[in-house]
Amino acid sequence: MEMSSGTKIAGVVSMVIVTSVLALAIAAGGLGYVIPPPHLRSLADWYLKTALNPYLKYFTVNSPEAVTSIVWDYRGLDTLFETTVFFLAIIGSIALMRGIHIDVKELKECCPTGMSPIVKTVTRVTVGMILAVSASIALHGHLTPGGGFQGGATAAVAPLLVMVVFSLYFVSKHGLSEEKMLTLRTAGLLGIAFTAFAALIIGYAFSTHAYVFQNQPKAEAPVGLPAYMFNALTSGTLIFFNLFEFFAVAAGFTIVFLLLSIPEVIVKKHSGVSEE
Amino acid sequence: MVMPDWLSNLSVWVGEIMIGVGVVSDVIAAIGMLRFPNFFVRLHAATIGTIWGAFLPLVGVAILSVGADYLGSYRWFMGGGALITAVLILILGPAGSHALARAAYRSKAAKVEPKCVDHLEEHIRGEERDRNA
Repeated sequence: MEMSSGTKIAGVVSMVIVTSVLALAIAAGGLGYVIPPPHLRSLADWYLKTALNPYLKYFTVNSPEAVTSIVWDYRGLDTLFETTVFFLAIIGSIALMRGIHIDVKELKECCPTGMSPIVKTVTRVTVGMILAVSASIALHGHLTPGGGFQGGATAAVAPLLVMVVFSLYFVSKHGLSEEKMLTLRTAGLLGIAFTAFAALIIGYAFSTHAYVFQNQPKAEAPVGLPAYMFNALTSGTLIFFNLFEFFAVAAGFTIVFLLLSIPEVIVKKHSGVSEE
Repeated sequence: MVMPDWLSNLSVWVGEIMIGVGVVSDVIAAIGMLRFPNFFVRLHAATIGTIWGAFLPLVGVAILSVGADYLGSYRWFMGGGALITAVLILILGPAGSHALARAAYRSKAAKVEPKCVDHLEEHIRGEERDRNA
């Protein structure tokens, strides 16, 4: 149905009016409270006062980055299970693609070339920069915004770019494989699990009390991981969690990208779907 | 580092002018994206948006932040970040639009129009003739 221009203008004007009235009503306190709240909530106040506070020895995380403190310390168990959900998603995608493997010879026959030399040159320049930025995001996760997941997701862009620009044959020829990435991913997860139990193991060794997922010393559980290493602030478990999560996430995303970039011809051949 | 007043004022002005030119170019690029008739001509408008509408204002931000004493010492981080982003856009924007144009041309997804001469087409045809011969 063709609308007349008058109807169109009336529609646009009425949408603008409705949106403005709604926005005004909400801004004036139409929901019963003002957004954003005029004062800090007591919970936020607590996080801000304890995240980096050497005087509150049993409550501090020793990290200036409150978000990472919350993610890997205050609600660390939640993050652990988030990581598990992500791992299950990777396992799911591998299970969907079972029976379909990346064969270098088949790839060489089917699609050995990548994109044009211009794109390849630019990718050569940027891949190193991407990896450097991702390492910085992950390793400074306890100091500045960022962390293991963000760093890992950034790092996974580098193999993805190489796969798209230089072809899957190129990365397979140079030794990037699903199995290797799965090994790296599992090693990262084991590292996370080990870090979660680190305080408990130290507690057993010195026969004192300790909690699972403990970072800094708590009352009646005086075990903790060092907040400073080599005169640098490392915030106990946070840097280890970020480091292992970095490898786990980067490898996990790379597996999915590898599986997604297998050419349709090879997928059909391996799964026995005939070409119509 | 203390800068003479006239120099910091000049860099703030130059930076602001570059950002203003960027705004105008972005508007022009957006109009071009909406109004241009086909893929290759629209791609031209899109690259106006990346170079004149992103690279130039980012360089402007870098120049502005160097002269803006009132921003404190963090202005060096701001300026450095803006400059690096500008250089990256300068390398990546043309490569991206080149890849898009090439893919669209080779897959024959978009017709080249208006066209006076097409050396690439002649080249590809020559290759095909050599292969068949």
